Amino acid sequence: MSLLQEERKIILSNEFVDAFDFAEVTDFVKNASKELFISHHFKKNKNKKMMVQPRGGFPTYEKQYALYEFFLKANVDVLPLTVDSNTRLNDYATAQKMLRLSEENNIDMLNGYPLVTHGYRTTRKMITHFDKPVSLRHGTPDARLLIETAIASGIFEIEGGPITYLLPYSKNFPLDKAFLYWKYVERVCANYSQLNEPINRESFGPLTATMVPPSITIVIQLLEMLLSLEEGVKSFSVSFAQQGSMMQDIVTGAVLKKLARFYAEEIGCGDADIHLVYHQWMGAFPMNRDYADQLINMSTVIASMVGADKIITKTCEEAVGIPTKEANAKTVANTQYTLRILNGLPSVVDEEEEEILTLEVKAIMEAVFNDPADTLWRKVFNCIKSGIIDVPFSPHIINHNEMITLRDAQKNIRIIKRGNVPMPDRCYEYHKSQCDLSKDTTSIVNDIIHDIGIMQ
Amino acid sequence: MKVVTGVVGNDIHVVANRLIDLSLRARGYEVFNLGVNTYLEEFFDAVVETGADVLLISSLNGEAEGWGREVKPLLTQYKKLDDVVMMIGGNLVVGRGDPDEIQRKYKSYGFDLVCHQIDLNTGLDMLETHLEKRTQESNA
Repeated sequence: MSLLQEERKIILSNEFVDAFDFAEVTDFVKNASKELFISHHFKKNKNKKMMVQPRGGFPTYEKQYALYEFFLKANVDVLPLTVDSNTRLNDYATAQKMLRLSEENNIDMLNGYPLVTHGYRTTRKMITHFDKPVSLRHGTPDARLLIETAIASGIFEIEGGPITYLLPYSKNFPLDKAFLYWKYVERVCANYSQLNEPINRESFGPLTATMVPPSITIVIQLLEMLLSLEEGVKSFSVSFAQQGSMMQDIVTGAVLKKLARFYAEEIGCGDADIHLVYHQWMGAFPMNRDYADQLINMSTVIASMVGADKIITKTCEEAVGIPTKEANAKTVANTQYTLRILNGLPSVVDEEEEEILTLEVKAIMEAVFNDPADTLWRKVFNCIKSGIIDVPFSPHIINHNEMITLRDAQKNIRIIKRGNVPMPDRCYEYHKSQCDLSKDTTSIVNDIIHDIGIMQ
Repeated sequence: MKVVTGVVGNDIHVVANRLIDLSLRARGYEVFNLGVNTYLEEFFDAVVETGADVLLISSLNGEAEGWGREVKPLLTQYKKLDDVVMMIGGNLVVGRGDPDEIQRKYKSYGFDLVCHQIDLNTGLDMLETHLEKRTQESNA
């Protein structure tokens, strides 16, 4: 038995798992409906219609089922399964207790669907019934048990990664452990991918959704993609969220697509399918629901300009709390409508911005590859530790927090203090030249506060 | 002047914490930022360890009230913290509350400066005024 299979047995022999049947699950994946695989939809989607995917997870089976019914009526392309925060932190006992309370009292005691607690036998009934691709949304540094349960349930898209699911969400979960736990995830996804259509992996580009410059987003997207492809994953989505400037989004999309292909080929994984996913605005939302709907609509237009393969939606209730299924379904319907009437888009290219961004990304990537460590994950680990990769507003203790960003007059995010990030002098000077740096730090802090809240 | 700062309790609101850090440095303080998700013991230990003059606790998600009550009992376990300026700011109650009532309550918990929903720079101006006044008093 391989080491991986031994580890799988340990992970799946858990008091919260009801007898995992390896042979039966393998058989299920082998014969599963192609409709369940988003990788299959990406492939057959020749006319390039952008797929629409909302967010959403409720504690009980019944409520999740009702949510999916609403989404189907709104003409959804991809269903979400958002997991509750106890399960995300591997606290299955609390998830179990809160699920029982939710079921008994008919109130939601969890902020998502406790997938491990429901188990794959139950969840699979729902997933196969709707026969739509489902995307697993979580935020888990140790997602080993979670993704085993997901794939056994018929969920064939797994979001996340060791960096993007850690740096925005955790203060002190060890990053090196996260890399190893995600290595397991990649290998399991790669192995299942040989049975039927590939399992799609998707990175979480929004990160902290707070003033992250495109070069940092792209570098992290590329690295998580490479860590996944080198384990044998054949279908991968890179992603990013609306940044605040249409031009910067278009440039980011163009550079990300080009470089994802370039680096995949560099490591001999050019046969993998790579897709682009765009998140509607992930920062602070307006309280006014009409404004929120306007913002969502504009995000859809930008996603089309960017040429995304899939868009992940928000709702007009974002500023208020966890959205109702009605608000959630409304966004899906509205987004589909906007996409249908949005025709004859012009093609916009900003060569200077593309060149500057490409130079930045390549310089940081080169610094990562030049780290003396023996494997890619260790190189990446060292680079985060030394601040070569620095994510603004990450709460994690390993993050350097030396980089400072600001918006220019066009609302493009610019780096005004690079910290240890090895961005070339030419790019750094270009960024700074776009901003008014004659102000004192107090005014700059006020500008940052303003820049974070631009959509409110 | 040394300041220990951080966000108290199971609160991961990092944005304000970074801005406080930046602003304090801009005003010339030496900052020891414990970041988000910090417990009271960690704050007091850090004050002892660094010999800080100011402890600036921030809170956004409504947990401050629960932790505030613990400050005095916990302080009795520490020596030589009487001279430390204790400051708290952010959203100090869940929902709406009477500002005067909140001031009074948090002062009774042992805080010298209470900034409930007050603009960051106004709060830091208050700290500076407080420190100046204290220096004058001790010189007099």
